[in-house]
Amino acid sequence: MTDTIPSEVASKAPAAPPSVSQIPADKWLKVGPDAGDAEYIAAPSLTYWQDARRRLSRNIPAMLSLAFIVLLLVAAIIGPWFSRYSYFEQDLALSNIPPFFETYEVETGTGETARFFLNSGNFKVYGVGPGGEVEGLLRATKKDLINKQHRYEFGETAVLMDFKSLPARMLDAETGEVIGTSGWSWNATNWFGTDQLGRDLLVRQLYGARISLTVAFVASLVNFFIGVFYGGISGYFGGAVDSVMMRIVEIIATIPLTLYVILMMVVLQNGLLSVVVAIGTVYWVDMARIVRGQILSLKQADYVAAAQTMGASTRRILTRHLLPNTMGPILVTLTMLIPSAIFIESFMSFIGLGVTPPLASWGTLTSEAVETLRAYPYQLFFPAAAISLTMFAFNFLGDGLRDALDPRLRK
Amino acid sequence: MIGYIIRRLLMMIVTLFAIITLTFFLMHAVPGGPFTSEKQVLPEIQAALDAKYHLNDPIWLQYFNYLKGIAVLDLGPSFKYPGLTVNEMIVEGLPVTMKTGVLALLCVVALGVPLGIVAALFRNKWPDTLVMVFATIGVAIPSYVVATVTLYIFALRLGWVPTFGLDDWRGFILPVLALSGFWLAFIARLSRSSLLETLNEDYMTTAKAKGLHPMQVLFKHGLRNSLIPIVTVLGPVVANLLTGSFVIEQIFALPGIGRHFVLSITNRDYTTIMGITIFYAAFLMVMIFIVDMIYLALDPRIKLGKASS
Amino acid sequence: MTITAAHTSEPILSVKNLSTSFFSDRGEVKAVRGVSFDVYPGEILGIVGESGSGKSITCMSVLRLLKANGRVLDGSAVFEGKDLTTLPSRQMRALRGNDISMIFQDPMTSLNPTLTVGEQIIETIRAHRQVSRADAAKRAIELFDLVKIPSPSKRLKSYPHEFSGGMRQRVMIAMALSCDPKLLVADEPTTALDVTIQRQVLQLLKELQSRLGMAVILITHDLGVIAEVTDRILVMYGGMVMETGRVADLFESPRHPYTQGLLKSIPDLSSGEHQRLSPIPGSPPDMLHPPAGCPFAPRCTHAMGICTEAVPQLYCAGDTPVLRAGQAARCWLHHADAPEVPEVNAREHEGAA
Ligand SMILES: Nc1ncnc2c1ncn2[C@@H]1O[C@H](COP(=O)(O)OP(=O)(O)OP(=O)(O)O)[C@@H](O)[C@H]1O
Ligand code: SF4
Ligand SMILES: [Mg+2]
Repeated sequence: MTDTIPSEVASKAPAAPPSVSQIPADKWLKVGPDAGDAEYIAAPSLTYWQDARRRLSRNIPAMLSLAFIVLLLVAAIIGPWFSRYSYFEQDLALSNIPPFFETYEVETGTGETARFFLNSGNFKVYGVGPGGEVEGLLRATKKDLINKQHRYEFGETAVLMDFKSLPARMLDAETGEVIGTSGWSWNATNWFGTDQLGRDLLVRQLYGARISLTVAFVASLVNFFIGVFYGGISGYFGGAVDSVMMRIVEIIATIPLTLYVILMMVVLQNGLLSVVVAIGTVYWVDMARIVRGQILSLKQADYVAAAQTMGASTRRILTRHLLPNTMGPILVTLTMLIPSAIFIESFMSFIGLGVTPPLASWGTLTSEAVETLRAYPYQLFFPAAAISLTMFAFNFLGDGLRDALDPRLRK
Repeated sequence: MIGYIIRRLLMMIVTLFAIITLTFFLMHAVPGGPFTSEKQVLPEIQAALDAKYHLNDPIWLQYFNYLKGIAVLDLGPSFKYPGLTVNEMIVEGLPVTMKTGVLALLCVVALGVPLGIVAALFRNKWPDTLVMVFATIGVAIPSYVVATVTLYIFALRLGWVPTFGLDDWRGFILPVLALSGFWLAFIARLSRSSLLETLNEDYMTTAKAKGLHPMQVLFKHGLRNSLIPIVTVLGPVVANLLTGSFVIEQIFALPGIGRHFVLSITNRDYTTIMGITIFYAAFLMVMIFIVDMIYLALDPRIKLGKASS
Repeated sequence: MTITAAHTSEPILSVKNLSTSFFSDRGEVKAVRGVSFDVYPGEILGIVGESGSGKSITCMSVLRLLKANGRVLDGSAVFEGKDLTTLPSRQMRALRGNDISMIFQDPMTSLNPTLTVGEQIIETIRAHRQVSRADAAKRAIELFDLVKIPSPSKRLKSYPHEFSGGMRQRVMIAMALSCDPKLLVADEPTTALDVTIQRQVLQLLKELQSRLGMAVILITHDLGVIAEVTDRILVMYGGMVMETGRVADLFESPRHPYTQGLLKSIPDLSSGEHQRLSPIPGSPPDMLHPPAGCPFAPRCTHAMGICTEAVPQLYCAGDTPVLRAGQAARCWLHHADAPEVPEVNAREHEGAA
């Protein structure tokens, strides 16, 4: 007796069957199909959007980015209301104050202690309150320009600010010895410091966020509408309309957009509206292509044909059937448009083609900081960090959205 | 094949024509621009403009004159500097811009593609994470921020490189870094996703199933195909490297075309803005054309598809 | 019950208890769960089953061509005395395309679009034989002749997109045959083609198989193909072998409810018309969460309490008289205590061999 396929007999099933004697009689009763169903349909099938949301909420960088963007939005909207300063108010006596400084303490002779700090960038001395408040510019009682020493008096004590050699130092006026610092203090008056015109940098930074986000959102929305409209028409009508419209898109796509934005800015003259218009009218090409592609492929879909035969109007088909299905790719493209818009606005402002002073944008703040880079490098920190973090956030969010929405990555 | 090339060339000319027209009429719309009556310029410039474009003629004739100038590669006089032409400015700035631009492009391709490949091959392992972290940083931080921050740290604080000029090779490091940063990161990300996609293709399984050496599978079958999407973006990359150079040349005080351009914007030197824009556009069209030809050589499907249609 | 041995020789490939899983971000997909089978020299073994039943993954596991997230967890696949699951990758490479070669489902995507088909064949030959390019090209032309591609020397320089689907599949076959394989795995070689082309390609395969004498594993959806060209069948469902046996036996006397369901969907076999499987009511199990018991239980009209709790064993010819020689079925109804269900385990069918 030769069995041709002995190997199968030995095969081990994942769940070993109970031995003959163990099977109770009632287990042999017929239960029919669908009996085993409940046991394995454990994962309820999720809708497209539920699934996308689940994927997105599991993406930690994307969620952190979303939190950052929300925070930034809130700060940009309500932040300036809580500030004592405005973005244009100048106070030249308090220009270029850093966000933190090293303080000195001297006895005034009446038992009190005077606190002050030396701004090594402009050799000025400022009084400091106990909580780190900048109390104002101190007047030197004597300026010895030959020896490069300024004399300051605090009650009975006099000190000399010596800038013969750099960095400048504080000397005891009696002994000529160097006075040590009493430690670091945060600037409680202007958290981010002030710029060269004495304007509060925090508030300017927040206004910068307003500008960047406004430009980004408005420009993206404009692009979104133009793109959806253009791509929608092109895809929906197809044929000759489509080929002419797409040929135009092809031409526009090869025009370097930065150049176009620059030209627009030159023509429109600087200003917030110009920036929005210039950026708002260039980036719709990708959107138009995506919408058109989606609509073309959906036009072939059965349910659209079904809707058509049932007499649904063109508008109804577009808004009820086609757009919901193209939302995924559109949303991703839109999210990716925002950092581009933020970047191009700040880029324009940086080369002097953006908002008009005294309005601040992250680009103008950066370029202002570059002017004083040698003396006050910290002024570069905040706008550079703000734009970089914002770009990070939108990039991560865009990546996360794409991963969450891309049907190719879904099973 | 020939038909395709001719079509591409025609397309290029149409696009260029569109750009020139757009630029001309935009400049015409500028109050105080070179083609308007209420401009305030030096008399000798007024004379030069008149001689060149016959500014009393109707607008379409001026446009025609401008086109005629461009046809013989003459971009006309500067609007702000008497006796200087836009051509002269371009010729003066081109070598500097080309040097940094070509170096940056080399960086982008020679570093970006290998980094992307390494990331794809070590998918979800530490080299991938490392590359992706750097790539995300590179994509997120604007070039002018990279330029100013590195300028401060490496030139002003540490003094490792000069703060301006290209007198020795170290002068190139920061401008090239700032210029290529974004696109290096972009290309690394693109190469990674492109190779990952290719590795998933059926023909890669076929190649493995034929018993080819893994290196042969990767380089002969994988790389070539995954390079195609990278080549297609190289045209725009060159475009953006060039437009990116405005800021970089300004920050590092490099005497290139970009600096002339930014200066002409600040000075409202309209004819120069116009001339340089058109020069850039033409240059880019040529680059995109070249890239298309490379694409043609890489992907045999194009030849037949386009020639037969 | 004396059975004459169908195969006197040793199997060329012997797969035992193969288990393969994919690890995706949603969890472990148990694509293949304890599959065993043998392939004998010179025979055509058909593997049938619905989409997702693990047919392709079984073969890909044997050839170690799984995607990065797939892993063979258990089992062995012995080819000419060598266990492929543990073979060093260099030796594995020497085997692939040489002793064992594979044809894939979709000729549209299985050829590299940027290399000429000639190059793709020549590189295969040169990977396994120490021959010059010119000799390899000569061999490629012979192969094109063999698979009946007209004007072979000219077509060698063409790119895949310049061929029709049927011609591309011929190219794939030529490529698979280039090193005279002992075993050819054809994974649904005709599903992507239209009906008349399907026939031609199948005929060609069958003809080449008998001429060259290699063993073939033919994966298919198409029971018509099975009836026509294969010697034995493996019916797969939910990553397991449900039933196996000689073609004639399985068609005449199927002993598994799933096989019966498959066959019932064919109106008339004798018409010779190729029939697609028309689906049995219900859908195949989600391999992320396979049923605890018999994978077919949710769709089986005979399902019993036990079926939802434990996987039945594969009952063989010796275990129950209704199974013919070489036939085996994984169904609780073949258990000695099982109630009688005439069409599955009725004793009067016994001794049919
Ligand atoms: N890379 C992968 N990652 C996760 N799951 C996979 C992967 N490849 C295959 N699978 C799963 O493995 C199971 C078996 O797939 P397989 O390709 O073997 O089916 P098949 O029987 O060949 O089906 P078809 O007739 O459609 O080719 C399926 O459920 C499939 O979803
Ligand atoms: S084991 Fe039960 S459920 Fe499975 S095929 Fe047999 S009778 Fe049907
Ligand atoms: Mg398959």
